[in-house]
Amino acid sequence: MSEILVNKLTGTSTAGSILVTGEGNSTTTNLQQGLCKVWAISNAGAAASDSFNLASTTDNGTGDYTFAISSDMGSANYSHPIGASLADGGAGLGVSIASKAAGSLRIGTIRDDSTKTDCTNISLSILGDLA
Amino acid sequence: MALGKIKADTLEHSTAGTVDTQYVVKGSAKSWINFNATGTIATRDSFNVSGIVDEKTGITTVSFTNNMQTNANYATMMGGHDIADSEDFNSQHIFVNRFTSSNYIVQNCNSASAAADWELNNAANFGDLA
Repeated sequence: MSEILVNKLTGTSTAGSILVTGEGNSTTTNLQQGLCKVWAISNAGAAASDSFNLASTTDNGTGDYTFAISSDMGSANYSHPIGASLADGGAGLGVSIASKAAGSLRIGTIRDDSTKTDCTNISLSILGDLA
Repeated sequence: MALGKIKADTLEHSTAGTVDTQYVVKGSAKSWINFNATGTIATRDSFNVSGIVDEKTGITTVSFTNNMQTNANYATMMGGHDIADSEDFNSQHIFVNRFTSSNYIVQNCNSASAAADWELNNAANFGDLA
């Protein structure tokens, strides 16, 4: 096995673009574009139990939470798959996006009857371009 | 300057730890997208997406530029909202239907479980490239 000791990877032709050979050995994928820029696991908007590139979480009220990003995204056009679950597990739960900006994302967690509810686990991820 | 190529099994940061490069290759998203499915559908931003097609109300096909492996056993995570930048907390659902190595279908429905186009659709795909 070989090992590289490094604190920073930078592209040669374009600093923010490094190619990685894919699993099938026939195509490449862009390292920077494929990396998850923010992730967090939070319980009902409380401080995240674990996270990456997350500055803070704010509980705006029942089922209403704001996540602030440490190093902002380049715009609000990022992709943000989110999952959430209820402690009882017995009711349908959806996640709604109240607002999004380069530095924050506000979400709501909603039962099937369209009432906001606190949930036990919110798994947040953000993919896109860093500023 | 000629392009370089490094082959390694491990990357090590001075303080943040070590990661096997298999996690870089297999752990990176192979595609992601943020798109508007209302009116004339439009991609706001994306990676490894060749295009989106409005099949009919509430159904959009997202196609890859570089395909996933033929078994199409990749993972797709999604989220969104029927109205962008809205505090309207109606119950609604987004789900994925029909995976192939070259595309997948995103479906939206409203709180009455009827097909509906959403302004804000997000998806990310993890798995093996062809």
